[in-house]
Amino acid sequence: MGEDERMTDFMARIASGQRVEANDWMPGEYRDLLIKQIHMHGVSEIMGAYPEKEWVPKAPTIRRKLALNAKVQDEIGHGQMLLRLAEDLSRPYGRGREALMDDLLDGRVKFHNVFHLSAPTWADAGVIGFLVDGGAIITQAALLDSSYAPYARMLKRIVAEESFHMQYGESVVLALAEGRQAQRDMLQGAINRWWSPMMFFFGPRGMGKSAERMMHYKIRTKTNEELRQKFINRYVPRLQALGMSIPDPAVKQDPATGVWGFTEPDWALHTDMVRNNCGPESQSRLNLRKQAHTGQQWVREAVNEASRLLEREGA
Amino acid sequence: MPDAGEYRVYEVFFQKDATDFHTNVGSLRAANPEMALQMARETFFRRDDAYDIWVVPQDSIFASPHDAAHLPVRGMDKRYRLPSGYDNAPHWKRFKAQAMTIEEVADDMKTRGKGGPS
Repeated sequence: MGEDERMTDFMARIASGQRVEANDWMPGEYRDLLIKQIHMHGVSEIMGAYPEKEWVPKAPTIRRKLALNAKVQDEIGHGQMLLRLAEDLSRPYGRGREALMDDLLDGRVKFHNVFHLSAPTWADAGVIGFLVDGGAIITQAALLDSSYAPYARMLKRIVAEESFHMQYGESVVLALAEGRQAQRDMLQGAINRWWSPMMFFFGPRGMGKSAERMMHYKIRTKTNEELRQKFINRYVPRLQALGMSIPDPAVKQDPATGVWGFTEPDWALHTDMVRNNCGPESQSRLNLRKQAHTGQQWVREAVNEASRLLEREGA
Repeated sequence: MPDAGEYRVYEVFFQKDATDFHTNVGSLRAANPEMALQMARETFFRRDDAYDIWVVPQDSIFASPHDAAHLPVRGMDKRYRLPSGYDNAPHWKRFKAQAMTIEEVADDMKTRGKGGPS
């Protein structure tokens, strides 16, 4: 088969709803878009554990501590599973785990804007579980029908675990909403901090070139705006039911079209933060990540060397 | 190493659908991987469809000892880790709002369009 024919065949398979496997032929652009998406998703899971990890030692009860610790473990686990997929795709480029982690530390791969921000109160830890995980669940559930089968499979597993994150986040937020005025004020403060970053989280109204190409290849099937609307539609009524206010007067639903309005987040500020790792906590969390990566390098080397020696003895 | 004169044992894994993971269905003996794959089709998939089949030499599998000390067991209450460990519905009700489930969010993603009624 010639290159053109293979391309036509590939697009026809995708159009008919068939899925692509890691070892199937795929256009270079498809592979590169997948690597970009899954690599970013994987490192965001890992960096996403940091703002919550900060609250594990400070959780208000033992049950909350166990739950938050379990959630942090899940996020790191999701990062591991997703990086494995990115590694399989990167095999033709000869790039493995070390290279993909170095990309994070050297600023060559971005992670989600929300994980560059501070979580100053326990309510922030709760609102991360409620709104940030809520947004992540929406984007991940929308990827369950991705044309790339290994990603769709792994997301099925990840979304099943996110079910606990969702209930946990709600539980923390509900407890604060049912609490005393000081707790309700703390909750409102956290909502005020996280609302606008969540509007940025879903990306610009008009999508960038690579997002459009991902739609073309059915790597993703929903636009940024569709996902943002699903999010607003789901969370605004719930926040209002809790008696919390939405820190954006433009958030109103058009009664005729059902479309929600919102004030544009500061696109330049968040883009700069993501691109240059210059958010309030970007550098401190990357430093922790670097400590874990370089500080334990000798352990990885020692284990590899010991295994090689054992293998030689056994042979 | 296989016994002299004996075919090697292969474990058979199959994937029912593109979005399912591989599951072990049993094992068989065969002279080589190609034969093992052919035998797997004959033995396990005379009726059922399969999206993908793997055959793996049994001695390539390093398994956990089959006892409580080596396997993940529910040694303690792990409800804090499970969605069922949280009963948020009565709390939402107090605020006159409905509880959410992840299944409902996943279904919502299958529908097109904007927000729509909540």
